[in-house]
Amino acid sequence: MHLRTCQMQRLLCRLILLSCCYTGLVNAHAVVTDYSLKLQTVSAGKASQVKLNFNSNIELGLSQVFLVRTGDVEEVLSVTAGKEPGVALIDMPALDAGVYALHYKIFAADGHITEDVIHFTVQP
Amino acid sequence: MEGIADFLDSIIGGIDLICYSLVIGGLVWGLFILRPWEYAHKQNKVHIILTEQTIRLIYQGAFALAIVQFIKIILKIWLMDSILERWPFPEFASTTQFIGGIFRLSLAIALATFVYSVLRHNAYSRKQWFNAAIIAGLMIISGAWLVHAAGRFEYRVILMALTTIHQVSAAVWIGGVFQLVSIWQLTRQKQIPDSYWPDSLRRFSRLGMIAVAGILLSGTPMALNYITSWNGFIGTGYGNILLVKFLLLAIALGFAWLNRRAVLQYASSANKHDVFNRVPYYIEAETFVLITLLFTAASLASQPPAIDIPGLTATWGEVLHSFAPRIPLTTSPSHAALLAGEAGRTAIIGQTPSAAATAWSDYNHNIAGIFVTVMSLFAMLSYRKSLTWTRYWPVGFIGLGIFILLRADAETWPNGTMGFWESMLENGEIFQHRIATLLVFLLGGIELRARMTSDPESKLPYIFPILCAFGGLMLLTHSHVGFQAKSSFLIQIGHTFMGLFALIMAIGRWLELKLDSPGKNIAGFISGFAFFQIGLILIFYQEPLY
Repeated sequence: MHLRTCQMQRLLCRLILLSCCYTGLVNAHAVVTDYSLKLQTVSAGKASQVKLNFNSNIELGLSQVFLVRTGDVEEVLSVTAGKEPGVALIDMPALDAGVYALHYKIFAADGHITEDVIHFTVQP
Repeated sequence: MEGIADFLDSIIGGIDLICYSLVIGGLVWGLFILRPWEYAHKQNKVHIILTEQTIRLIYQGAFALAIVQFIKIILKIWLMDSILERWPFPEFASTTQFIGGIFRLSLAIALATFVYSVLRHNAYSRKQWFNAAIIAGLMIISGAWLVHAAGRFEYRVILMALTTIHQVSAAVWIGGVFQLVSIWQLTRQKQIPDSYWPDSLRRFSRLGMIAVAGILLSGTPMALNYITSWNGFIGTGYGNILLVKFLLLAIALGFAWLNRRAVLQYASSANKHDVFNRVPYYIEAETFVLITLLFTAASLASQPPAIDIPGLTATWGEVLHSFAPRIPLTTSPSHAALLAGEAGRTAIIGQTPSAAATAWSDYNHNIAGIFVTVMSLFAMLSYRKSLTWTRYWPVGFIGLGIFILLRADAETWPNGTMGFWESMLENGEIFQHRIATLLVFLLGGIELRARMTSDPESKLPYIFPILCAFGGLMLLTHSHVGFQAKSSFLIQIGHTFMGLFALIMAIGRWLELKLDSPGKNIAGFISGFAFFQIGLILIFYQEPLY
């Protein structure tokens, strides 16, 4: 009986330790504080460059930016570092008029990964 | 796999801080309280036991810290691999995170090895204690490049320094409390005389106050830098978790004050009662709070500061609306209606909020609230001798567990198309819900057995508060992920306060089991009241349309 109790207690301890394994998902720190799409619209049929300003240093080699088209079709875009720290420059291909989004996954210098979306419209 | 990697990456932050506290708090305890070199020529058995115990906690903590730091690096690589869908090297090798992490790992190994192989055998050498402190100092400094402030542009060095001071101050306090818990164990086992217990409490009291001052003096300017408005404090995840940290700190300080009062009383009147029959249990409760505080701090590190998201801050009105009383939802939309709205809700282009998804979630929370409120009322009634049948109230947890299992995640088994195990591995949120369900079943089953047992020596009643504390911890770090930070926050805020009440419920029940009257009755009432509050939050729960 005592042995069974000990086994139960050990099992319980393992379950409790297992139950420790939880937490919230990371929201992260590389937040876009400003972006060029706010000020200038994208015109149809012309390649352009979008500038994203982040609140902290970012590791571009470990970051990804996607162009999202209608139907949530994603296409990887090339990203280069701006002159100032925390700035990413995204090369946008020529687009037809319509609704699009930039879906980015950014690795911040503090080790957190930010995933977010910026919606924009391409004017005819 | 991304969900699990992300999930474990966050949990490991809290464990890291616990190990860090064991190491730094233990070293400060040895250097400023134990001071073994003062007894080098007049050692006795008690000094040897106390010194060995302190050193053991330091090297165990340091080895654990090294392992945790190694796991952190591995998890980060795994997370990068999952997200980027490619091997993250060589780019990852040049990041501050990797380089700083390797430095910290190396220094943690060096410290653990030094304490284990040198200090353990030269425990009365002041020089070796200071050598250990120098290695620890280097490890503390290396950690400064791994904190949130390291990536910022404004006041970078100042914020890194303040964060480091904040962490060290917290580690001194929490590590000191861990030392007190271990000394109480030695006292209870009669390995050391009773007189050492109040003496240790008295000696730690001043150091604890200095540590708390350090926490406040370093934390205040950081808070003012990251949160620049009342709205940022109330209406963002960062501000909300900081508020919880304040509340947890206040609870922990409340216990510290009770301890200090008992020690002063003992010093003035030699009355042993409180110091030996209440303080140890206050310290156990304080440990619950402080461990939760560490995980909350780790959770805070994963939130964007309020100053950076002014456009995504909820207003006072929106926050209050989340808690506004209303008639609970007792009818659920059909599963078909829910699925019909999912494609639009989760789309990036042309996203349309789903009323069915919001109603589905509201119904789940409101029904859970009815379960919890009824259970809490029965729990309070169970103290009346004429209503002994109400002591079976934990049965409600079994029913609640079944309800959560069937309803929590509509996209997975038994309602959706995703498999039971597949969904847990792919989605961290579903994984958390499943762990919560397991906790609820355990809470019900164990507490029911505990209340039915006639063995006065049974340890079963103590499992319930421990599980409650874990549940609280889970809720405090639970987050719903989405691209709408404001909606996510408005969902999260209710969970955060339920987590706080779950912790209060846990420590209340723990003290009810441990203390004598009148403390026992007060703690029991507070525990029941906190349980009732969780029920009310759930009953009135309503999500924003997102």
